[in-house]
Amino acid sequence: MRKRRDPRAEQAARLLPGGPRPRYGLKVVATETDRPRRNPRAERKAATVSESPRLRIAWKGGVAPQAGTLDAPASRGAPKVRIIAEPAFHVLVIAGAGEIDRQMIGAARLIADAGGGAVCIASSTEAEDWADAGADRLMPLSGLEVGTYDPEAHAAAVLAAIASLKPAHVLFPETPGGGDIARRVAARLGERLFAGVEDIRDGRAIRRANGGRDAMSVAVPRLLSIAAGAFARHEGAPHEARRIEGPGFEPVRKGIMQAKAMPVDPDSIALAEADFLLSGGNGVSDWDAFAELAVLLGATRGGSRVVCDQGHLPRDRQVGASGTLVTAGCYFALGISGAPQHLQGIQRVGRVVAVNTDLHAAMIKRADLAIVADAQEVMPALIRLLAQRKDTAE
Amino acid sequence: MRIAVLLSLGLHPASGRARRAELDAKALELALRLAETVPDAELHAVHAGDPDAGALRDYLGMGLDRLHVLDVAQGADPVPALNRHLNEIRPDLVLTGMRAEAGEGSGMVPYLVAEALEASLVADVAGISDLADEATVIQALPRGRRRQVRLRLPAVLPFNAAAPEPRAPAFARARRGIIERHRAESVPDDFLEACENTLWRARPKRMGLPAGATAAERMKAMTEARAGEGQVMVHPTPDEAAAALYDYLVEHRFLDLQAREPTANGQK
Repeated sequence: MRKRRDPRAEQAARLLPGGPRPRYGLKVVATETDRPRRNPRAERKAATVSESPRLRIAWKGGVAPQAGTLDAPASRGAPKVRIIAEPAFHVLVIAGAGEIDRQMIGAARLIADAGGGAVCIASSTEAEDWADAGADRLMPLSGLEVGTYDPEAHAAAVLAAIASLKPAHVLFPETPGGGDIARRVAARLGERLFAGVEDIRDGRAIRRANGGRDAMSVAVPRLLSIAAGAFARHEGAPHEARRIEGPGFEPVRKGIMQAKAMPVDPDSIALAEADFLLSGGNGVSDWDAFAELAVLLGATRGGSRVVCDQGHLPRDRQVGASGTLVTAGCYFALGISGAPQHLQGIQRVGRVVAVNTDLHAAMIKRADLAIVADAQEVMPALIRLLAQRKDTAE
Repeated sequence: MRIAVLLSLGLHPASGRARRAELDAKALELALRLAETVPDAELHAVHAGDPDAGALRDYLGMGLDRLHVLDVAQGADPVPALNRHLNEIRPDLVLTGMRAEAGEGSGMVPYLVAEALEASLVADVAGISDLADEATVIQALPRGRRRQVRLRLPAVLPFNAAAPEPRAPAFARARRGIIERHRAESVPDDFLEACENTLWRARPKRMGLPAGATAAERMKAMTEARAGEGQVMVHPTPDEAAAALYDYLVEHRFLDLQAREPTANGQK
């Protein structure tokens, strides 16, 4: 390899003597230092972490290749499972409340990773992929009947799990059902529950107190309940979610003797709370049929601004930016074209079913099932079909 | 039947001034209605805290004749005093709100009282439908659903926001009502003293980001209006459309003709 040139020495060699100011000749002088010449292309190549999807160069080094690099999947294979074999302590997470379960594991990981602990999830259902969610252990809570309301038995099962695992911290969901279990357990143990924790920072748990005005913080206590939507779910490597023995528990004294779901009038449910909405717009003119369809579907009625302006539905039934922002699981739109303000109102809706005559309406684009037809013609057909199916069901 | 109502001092969410607590007022409303309908009902309203608080008069104005106030010092734990007092009167029913508006507001008081009285408890009560040797209560669930629960007495029933609205306090009754002071021990609350209180400040949180290779794609996923699955039927016959709608609703379990019996007043 060629040696590196020394430009200063070359210039000094071309200096012509004499005269008041320095003059340089044109003679070419070859100089060499003892250092080898740089190869910028090779240096750049060595510092390149990834080329696709975007070029990343780490000139200072020390950057791990990101997921999504071209060569990474081939060399790494399956994502590496993080195993905590000998944890310093356990963090028990009481699952069973849906989406918040993963957020609780995210919060539990914050506590566990700060001190070398392991996250153990106690669940009465086994459908979830707890390894991916970030749980180290899985403790099945057996003996609980799924789908029945029995908080006393549930609290007894959780107490047995706490007695068998002896966790340093127990996390409950601050949902109507989960918060109930948490308080029953705390009252039975005679310990304080730090309820509705919104943040965990620097080893302190923070919740809101005094009507939400104050932030109350304390070193992470033993029993805490986690507010919904407060923590991000675990995004890193999967954990092993090894099954451990679930505890047996004694049946407790029964204060609650019987519980059953009650039928409710769908129209008495507030629009923001309703789970199944039948919404009518300008394409609907037969409002008696609309009401009949709502009764047959068991859906709460709503409408666009236009129909509320015209007085077909009361103002508190208006869906949209100037009405109610709804959170239904299913939104059934009849004859609604989908003004931007209306689409804002249904932003958090699960599934949208729409019937509209205009193929290019915004609502048709938004819908999961879109039917380009006249709502006035579809309504009687659907009423007939529902009445017929109901008769055969009875 | 002895009915005890546990009342706390509320905090107005906008002005921060003391007021009657909304959920406790709902519990008192139910108790006053029970006192009218249930034979030999005996109402006993209890507050643990400062007897001189002016907002306590709002409860008296609702129709209470007498409010028993356990004089517990500011910052002390009210639960031991409440438990001792309730153990003396042995109520069959304890009504209260799910949680206090002011102070810690952890919602533990009904549970601790139930534990001390060895009473049964159902959370989030919206109403009482039947009361005899046992109680049948209506429990409010999320999304407007209701559940009917039968439970043994004695029972502690914490009320939810779905309970009927409380009546407005009347000024003359508020003046006429008697506040009866009871001396009570003030057990200092060590846990709350260990807690640090600052003003709540909403902080930005980094929640789960949408997966996507480039920043542009992630930005698009965050900001763009959601598009549907895009199953489109163009100009079907009404019967085809109805069948497709029916199948879709049944497939995603929004329609269950057996379970969802519409009620008689469904059609207005």
